[in-house]
Amino acid sequence: MKKFLKTVSLILTLLFSLGVLAGCGSEPAKKSAIDQIKERGKLRVAVFSDKPPFGFVDANGKNQGYDVYLAKRLAKDLLGDENKVEFVLVEAASRIEVLEADKVDITLANFTVTPERKEKVDFANPYMKVALGIVSPEGAPITSVDQLKGKKLIVNKGTTAETYFTKNYPDVELLKYDQNTEAFQALKDGRGAALAHDNTLVFAWSRENKGYVTGITKLGELDAIAPAVKKGNTELRDWINTELTKLGEEKFFHKDFEETLKPAYGDSVNPEDVVVEGGAIK
Amino acid sequence: MDFDFIVKSIPLYVKAAEVTLELSFWGILLSLIIGFICSLVIYYKVKLLAQVVQIYIELSRNTPLLIQLFFLYYGFAKIGIKFEAYSCAIFGLAFLGGSYMAEAFRSGLEAVSKIQIETGLSVGLNRWQLMRYIILPQAFSVAIPAIGANAIFLLKETSVVSAIALADLMFVAKDLIGMYYKTTEALTMLVVAYLIILLPISLLLTFIERKVRHAGFGN
Repeated sequence: MKKFLKTVSLILTLLFSLGVLAGCGSEPAKKSAIDQIKERGKLRVAVFSDKPPFGFVDANGKNQGYDVYLAKRLAKDLLGDENKVEFVLVEAASRIEVLEADKVDITLANFTVTPERKEKVDFANPYMKVALGIVSPEGAPITSVDQLKGKKLIVNKGTTAETYFTKNYPDVELLKYDQNTEAFQALKDGRGAALAHDNTLVFAWSRENKGYVTGITKLGELDAIAPAVKKGNTELRDWINTELTKLGEEKFFHKDFEETLKPAYGDSVNPEDVVVEGGAIK
Repeated sequence: MDFDFIVKSIPLYVKAAEVTLELSFWGILLSLIIGFICSLVIYYKVKLLAQVVQIYIELSRNTPLLIQLFFLYYGFAKIGIKFEAYSCAIFGLAFLGGSYMAEAFRSGLEAVSKIQIETGLSVGLNRWQLMRYIILPQAFSVAIPAIGANAIFLLKETSVVSAIALADLMFVAKDLIGMYYKTTEALTMLVVAYLIILLPISLLLTFIERKVRHAGFGN
């Protein structure tokens, strides 16, 4: 009994000290967010490492993709050099935490705007639009959601696909993975009947992987993808918005599309279905 | 802290805890069997088999469980052998745990002094009786703390099975974070859930340890 009490009190002490330590993480002296970045000389951006053609690491270990293209431009306009950007690789479910824990300044990891997410971070204006798509094997194509009843659908944790099916089709069994690569691998191994993800991603994937088709190309609402900053960082958000308007004038995102997405899509996707210029969905 | 959210997610955690416990139960049980057999093979220096076991132990102890699981789940699927995630997890745990248990049992077996064995032989015990009445009781009492530690280690190791889409405790916590962004709540509940499972086991092991030590040394 004595030993038990000792154990319990030890745990309580530990928990208590954790609480005290957590209190230490108070706000550092208020300094303008943009000045902080300039002082550091590096813009820290959260991007995907496994979501081609939006954010991925190429064969030479370099970050590439639609999101990365924008990140480099932001660094160039803010710090004068497109190489003054530090990429932090994230998985879908950790995109908000990296902002909250101050690990990055901006999340540019193909982040769809949702009401739940808006409560946690501040979104700038959109630079892309997306709906859900479902990819399945050619031999057993899934062309309507009803076909999924009683079957396994592969999704990624922390994506809009997961939320959409949990809310709207609770009777579809979801098989949830952490990384895009693992999820697509599981589809190839036949662990689920189909895979749901952003249509912009599954288009590119099914084009590259023979034997798979995007049976459902548009599901759910048309969502906006936007840069996100830490809640309350209005200064940086406003700067990004001005920047997006400026970039819209030079049709920057059409150029971005040509450079990064066209090679993956070919002519199968119309840029107007994906690209958002000037931060406003028309 | 959003306590409504915590209360609402308790059933999810309970269900996940069942998965964690079930996986650990089978994993630990198989580890004990594999470990015991392997330790005997090494103790008796069985020809050829002892080398195989030695290779297995080194291979299993020097690779992380996550890698072993990926190999079983994604690697084997490529060459046409497809295991369900559940069997992969139990296989993985048994593969990893077996070697740790083997080393624990071996340390016990080797701790039994030569004099004990020679004395046993001199009073005419055969090999089986020697094992049953002289070696095992003493070996067991020496090995039990290590076995207990390994059991707890294996239970904690189950936290990586979420990587192969199994809904254990870690999976649920990460899932809730991904969907509702209640990071603090989900992680706090995760820690509490593991404590609720592990504290009683830890206390039980302390109790068992004292019992077998009593048998071993009479104090």
